[in-house]
Amino acid sequence: MQEFRFDIILYYLPMLLQGTLLTIGISILSIILGSVLGLIVGFGRMSAHAYFRLPAACYINFFRGTPLLVQILIVHFGVVPALVGHTDVMIAAVLSMTLNSAAYTAEIFRAGIQSVEKGQTEASLSLGMTHRQTMRYIILPQAIKRMVPAFGNEFIVLIKDSSLLTVIAAKELMYYANVMRGQYMRIWEPYLTAAIIYLILTYSLSKLLNWWERRMN
Amino acid sequence: MWAATCSGPCSSASSESSTPAAASGPVRFATDASYAPMEFMDLDQVKGFDIDFIAAVAKEAGLEHEITNVGWDTMLESVRQGTEYQAGISSVSITDERKDSYDFSLPYFESTNIIMVKQGSPVKSALDLKDKKVAVQNGTTADILMSGIMGANNPGLSKFESNALALMELDSGGADAVVADIAVVREYIKNNPDKNLVSIADSQNFDSEYYGIIYPKGSELKAKLDPAIQKIIDNGTYAKIYKTWFGEEPDLTHLKAAMAKG
Repeated sequence: MQEFRFDIILYYLPMLLQGTLLTIGISILSIILGSVLGLIVGFGRMSAHAYFRLPAACYINFFRGTPLLVQILIVHFGVVPALVGHTDVMIAAVLSMTLNSAAYTAEIFRAGIQSVEKGQTEASLSLGMTHRQTMRYIILPQAIKRMVPAFGNEFIVLIKDSSLLTVIAAKELMYYANVMRGQYMRIWEPYLTAAIIYLILTYSLSKLLNWWERRMN
Repeated sequence: MWAATCSGPCSSASSESSTPAAASGPVRFATDASYAPMEFMDLDQVKGFDIDFIAAVAKEAGLEHEITNVGWDTMLESVRQGTEYQAGISSVSITDERKDSYDFSLPYFESTNIIMVKQGSPVKSALDLKDKKVAVQNGTTADILMSGIMGANNPGLSKFESNALALMELDSGGADAVVADIAVVREYIKNNPDKNLVSIADSQNFDSEYYGIIYPKGSELKAKLDPAIQKIIDNGTYAKIYKTWFGEEPDLTHLKAAMAKG
């Protein structure tokens, strides 16, 4: 391995950090929008009515069963031009990540809610609570606590997978690592630096989640 | 993977050579076959101008060779190491920066960047692109040129992983122009006559550039292949291959001048 050039890392650091901010921004926006959509899809999946349940199941199967890279390309070159008439990298970035994460969070919600024993529902109903009260005061508080680790996991996966957005030239962290590689035709400096930044992001996020989880217990 | 038929003194070539590359069989070339018509995949076969060219060069030099599509990054790194692949051919433009990392063959192809826009675009030259949305392939000379003209971090400049993606971005209305090598742009316009695309040459802002084969630093292959490159350009084999891929005779004036400079 030839000499490791810290000077080109320093030279690119402002752009890498700018890309990191976009990575964080896209990830946060997508996890929030994805959770809202995931909540809807998740309840649809648990619905007693087949006309809610089947579309929700199809949605989850499609987005969990196809590669995110393919979804990004379909959204960027297909869905977004169909919606707004031209490609728009930011809409495509947030939309594809949101649609993808919604499928996973839907399953997290479902698993969380279904993990609460049936006896809990039966007990609270027999105490005279309504279904709505049972969900609000008995089931959800227990379910959410169980969802936190899986939810945190999904956020970490989302941050890492946002690197795939480089394929549509979304100017996130991986994009600038590729640009840096393109300029200097060197492998180690851009990709190792990007790897370390991703690691810092995901590691501090998992520490934060651990702390939050402990506090909730 | 594709191996050329070997004619002439293949075996004797390896005995008189001290490089492990030649002693252990065919010379292995790496390429990034995503640059039609220069190099591209046709099902599982690598084809294109560069591929036919290197076959003729290897034949002339009496060397066996094979070409593998490994992608751009892998090509760069593995050719630099020189163990798995002893050379790379993939429309690599010869630049001073790249000479720090690789040895280049004689220049074998003259190219220039060209602008592609939709019909009716007000763009007349590269300078008109300063405040437009421009798509290029990351790391190419088009990228270097447009980064210079627009500013490297201009938000209007998008660097895609391949020319194909950059061209799709123009096609879907996400970019006002694509800047890329003339051969790639011409091929795309030729294959998409219904898209009303036009190309704009700009010899003021875009210099000619020359492609070379890349070798690891200090490779002995250069000394073996350079005379063969010279030979097939002089004897007309090169022009024949050029005509197959581009439908016209090459104008070799600039290329020969560049070759004379080395």
